[in-house]
Amino acid sequence: MPAAVASRFQDRRRRVFQSVFHTDLSPPTPQGVPLPSANLSFSQGLQYHSGTGPTVGSGSFYEEDTQATAQTGFYNPSDQGLLVSHTPSTSFHSTVTAVSQPSQPQLVPPDTGIGDQVAYDNAWRLVTARIALPSTVTSSTPSGSPPQDAALPCDGEFWDALNHIVNASTLLPGALRTDDIFSWHTHQVRAHFSQQVLPRLLDCLNTRPPEDGDPERKGSNQNGTNSITYERHMVIVMSSIRTLEAALGLYSHGFDLLVQGVTHTKNAAASSAPGVNIDVLASRFRRDIHALVGNSASQQLTKSLRTVLVRLVGDVLGIPAEGDDARNLKSRRPAPPTVDDHKALAARQRLHGLVEQLHNVGLSGERFQVLFAEVMDWMMSTFVCGAYAGVWSATDRRSLSSVLNTVSRSTGSSVTSPCIISLMDWVENHFARLSFEVLSRVSHDSVSPVTLSDLKTYQSLALSRLSTLRIAELFDIVLAWPDSRGALDDLRATITTSARRLQLTTHFTQALKTRLLHPGCSTLEILQTYIDIIHTFHALDHSKVLLGHVEPSLKLYLWQREDAVRIVVTGLLASPEEVRAARKVKELGKQQAEQKKAGKRPEVETRRSAGKGSLVTPTTRGVSSRTPTTTRQREKLDMDASSATSNKGSASGTGKLVELALLLNDPTKTRHTLVEDEELDWNDMNWVPDPVDAGANYKRPKSEDVIGTLISALGSEDVFIKEFASIVAERLLSLSDPARFDQELRVLDLLKRRFGEAALQNCDVMIKDIEDSRRLDDAIRRAWDEQRKLAAATPVTMSGHFLRSADKRKKAAALQRQQQQELEPTQYHARILSRLFWPGLDREHFLLPDPIVEEQKRYEQGYEHLKSNRKLTWLNQLGTVRVELELRDRTVSVDCTTPQATVIYAFNDSDDGDLEIDNDNKPPARRTVDELYNTLQMDEDLIASCLEYWVSKNVLRRLRSPSSSAPTYVVIESLSDPIDNDLPSQEDDTFGNPATTSQEGGAQPAESAKEEGSKQTIDPKEQERRTMYWQYIKGMLTNASASMPLAQMAMMMKILIADGFPWTNEELGEFLAEKIAEGEMEVVSGGKYRLVKK
Amino acid sequence: MGDIQSSAPILGARKNVDPGQNAVKRLQTELMQLMTSPAPGVSAFPSADGNLLSWRATIEGPEDTPYAGLTFKLSFEFPANYPYAPPTVLFRTPIYHPNVDFSGRICLDILKDKWTAAYNTQTVLLSLQSLLGEPNNASPLNGEAAELWDKDPTLFKTKVMDRHKDIDDD
Repeated sequence: MPAAVASRFQDRRRRVFQSVFHTDLSPPTPQGVPLPSANLSFSQGLQYHSGTGPTVGSGSFYEEDTQATAQTGFYNPSDQGLLVSHTPSTSFHSTVTAVSQPSQPQLVPPDTGIGDQVAYDNAWRLVTARIALPSTVTSSTPSGSPPQDAALPCDGEFWDALNHIVNASTLLPGALRTDDIFSWHTHQVRAHFSQQVLPRLLDCLNTRPPEDGDPERKGSNQNGTNSITYERHMVIVMSSIRTLEAALGLYSHGFDLLVQGVTHTKNAAASSAPGVNIDVLASRFRRDIHALVGNSASQQLTKSLRTVLVRLVGDVLGIPAEGDDARNLKSRRPAPPTVDDHKALAARQRLHGLVEQLHNVGLSGERFQVLFAEVMDWMMSTFVCGAYAGVWSATDRRSLSSVLNTVSRSTGSSVTSPCIISLMDWVENHFARLSFEVLSRVSHDSVSPVTLSDLKTYQSLALSRLSTLRIAELFDIVLAWPDSRGALDDLRATITTSARRLQLTTHFTQALKTRLLHPGCSTLEILQTYIDIIHTFHALDHSKVLLGHVEPSLKLYLWQREDAVRIVVTGLLASPEEVRAARKVKELGKQQAEQKKAGKRPEVETRRSAGKGSLVTPTTRGVSSRTPTTTRQREKLDMDASSATSNKGSASGTGKLVELALLLNDPTKTRHTLVEDEELDWNDMNWVPDPVDAGANYKRPKSEDVIGTLISALGSEDVFIKEFASIVAERLLSLSDPARFDQELRVLDLLKRRFGEAALQNCDVMIKDIEDSRRLDDAIRRAWDEQRKLAAATPVTMSGHFLRSADKRKKAAALQRQQQQELEPTQYHARILSRLFWPGLDREHFLLPDPIVEEQKRYEQGYEHLKSNRKLTWLNQLGTVRVELELRDRTVSVDCTTPQATVIYAFNDSDDGDLEIDNDNKPPARRTVDELYNTLQMDEDLIASCLEYWVSKNVLRRLRSPSSSAPTYVVIESLSDPIDNDLPSQEDDTFGNPATTSQEGGAQPAESAKEEGSKQTIDPKEQERRTMYWQYIKGMLTNASASMPLAQMAMMMKILIADGFPWTNEELGEFLAEKIAEGEMEVVSGGKYRLVKK
Repeated sequence: MGDIQSSAPILGARKNVDPGQNAVKRLQTELMQLMTSPAPGVSAFPSADGNLLSWRATIEGPEDTPYAGLTFKLSFEFPANYPYAPPTVLFRTPIYHPNVDFSGRICLDILKDKWTAAYNTQTVLLSLQSLLGEPNNASPLNGEAAELWDKDPTLFKTKVMDRHKDIDDD
């Protein structure tokens, strides 16, 4: 039995395959095969075959097979029909079973219907043979008609057979086992699809270099911009479509035969065909096929399709492809295609064709629609980002007007931003149109796939994307203010919901933190940006609510910047010259747009150069007017020491916050502040309610009020007033001409409005002090003049080569005042300050030159004469002095501070100044710091800085004596003098005044000279440090590790020395090399250093 | 009259300084003292990994003691709450001494209950140095050594020399 079974087996299996997979179906199988074994073999054969089946998972087949086997084993032969009816749902299996059915009759137990059954089976065989599918599907037969059946055999035999099958119940009542020929066909189609078509599709996907000429593809190629990837994907898509078309042709051919047969039967017999509804069958068949195709679309195909869609849709919508060859920016930026854009038109046609083809082969199902939606979504994002990123100013009006005609009703008239209008236009005339075109091609029902409400949805989507873009750009928009108003219009129109407002504030706060509020930004930059922020946000949202939301982090950070208040105040007090310069810069900036982008720096530089022309000459009074920093850049060195205010300004080198002064002087802005406190204006037609996200105590501000916002941002008013007072004090003391207090008074007024009169009383008193001083000063001097006239004035010549006039300010115990001295040579003025009202002015002790002390005494007497019961306390360090130095070959005239004047006066030779002028042979005066310290009782550091000042003025020269470490300073009597003729040590004086000191204004800044000095090896501090470092190194190599590489040592030193370790690795290396030379250390293997063992 | 530019950012308030930070600061200061005014015969330095809480020290044996001419390496481990708790000090060089056991642990009151924050590394090192010359035989960790110290100085010296072994540094 087994052997017999085995041989039949093979025979049977071969036939089964032939019957299923070959078109030339062999004639009906000889009957008489025992069914159980047949079924078994069949299932085994399937199992075997499923291993090679390329597309169908063998697992599922296996399961079905075993199930079938089990069933076969269970049922007896007579139940075979049951088996068939059980399994039609399993596509492949049931198909084969159905084919094999004709072989069954023999085995059926004889009963009454045996003849019918045989007839039925024969008919079945005939029909299935006719409509069986070929084993190959080729795209070379695009017509869709099966090649082997070019002539449709419409012979009666077929019709009869079909009739028998279809109407089996009536015509062949005896046939018990019947089946639905249509479902048989459907099953066979499924099997064929998975066995034959899917592999073909896979082949299509693997097609790499497209060789076969596709006319349509060539057509799209003419655009010349198609990239290779696009072409490849296009080929994949097209060949897939072709394959599917061919397959579908085959399937529908068989189906058509059946349908025709049924129709024919109906027509011929006109008998009552029980419930075979052709239409229902046809639609079901189509649905099945489409489901089959739609579900079979592989990822690879989807990917290709996506690429193709992206390309085509992009062309239609005017979005350049990523790999576009045209690199120039113009074409890169997406723009709606014009009406006569051939490329767009071609792409549109191509897309239409493609969509139709897809629809025909059933690939336009849900998957395609999702894919299309994704592509369109991506397109919208790309378009918005591409077309509008960085486009903040109005696009040119020409294109706008054309757009205005086309865009319509859907956007409200309130929207005026050009970006938004053009975007709306794009959505309406391109985006929505394309969506409509595509979707209407794939949709089944007649309802329009894109309605007007859809269009609105699209537009709002586009708007939200634009708003996201603008929000992301907001920081740059702020920086570009005021050229970025266009972008703000966009933003204002798009941030309509509170959620979006929140998004804006959070995003901007984040941007602030990362881009502005870090140590790399100077306070000035932060404040300047802050002003721009105020402007921008005011333009964006008049209610200031948004500003209020982004401010906290900024405020918090500014509180950490100690100099913020000072910068704001000095900015407010910026002098008219600076303001003028700043204005010029603004105009300049308008002409040179690119400078704007570069930030504030060019502005500062231009401001400087603009200011250069207006050098202010010192007044005859002997006190230089406090010229703005910018006018004196050339004399930067003067500034360093001449006065606190200008010193600060010039040393910083970044200018001031003149924007504030500009605002302060802007008449329009002032008007705004006046209106501020008025009640609600009932006639205000632009009134809008408070924004929803406003706080509880929200009060609507009327103007942008930059200054007010800034001041309130800087913390408590106490801090601000204090800082203001101290700055005003400085300025009052340094300004010589009280007529120039306008600026101060104006700022004072502003602050009074804000903080109240009482808070600023001190400043009032201070200003009054200065004014009073002037009167008092005049009075005292008048009294002197009278005295002198009486004394028949013998003018006392001030000793020597320096000191023409002096101007000092003092503080009295209860009162302060100023004094002026007028001797022919020496004028002495004083300012009297009320001690209680001026911010802390410390007294600094040092001895003034005798002539000045005498003047002070005289002034004091005069003052006490005028105001009894009051005393003067002199604040010597606050004065300014006009110094004229008569040197051997030149006269130096300088405005400087009192300590500086005192120091240089100390070089005046003790015996008599005349000596130096008269006696050329006398060596120039020289002093050391220690000597000066003893004579002047001045702070050593102050002496040093004063000396450096004079060195920078080319009046003194620093010598380094070989014996003592303290440098000696010597007067440069003549610029043509050789550097040195008496001190050999000067040869290595590299930092002093090299060669001839005649360079113009060429003295080095005091600072740098100092630094260089500290690097000299002889410097005791340096020596001390080196000793200490050596201790560290010894300790390290004794304890931590016997030998260490240089880098590790440097690192350790950096970690361990609390004051820091300033040396670079190279310097440390040099130091160690010295120690090696001294025999203290040695280098061992691996470049490690270690101590020499002793 | 500050320079506008000198606007170094003011760091946030240093409220939550971790306690180890104080110890590190203190140790930095101690190190600076050790380096600027070194005491003869002792030296100390943080270990090579730059961890300030772990130091290495060296003591030279005092003259006129059995340890003359020898150098001893020690390790200091400072707790995070130093100087409010004593450092853990160990002899890394093997030493034969009444108050030091064979794994280098030291019996010294100021390293235990008598510790105060007034002590520092240098004083500890000097105390240890003097301990070498004047062991506290009342509470020995090494009983034999305590006995020999008084009874047989020669044998003691021999044992010291036997036990001593210069260790190589890492």
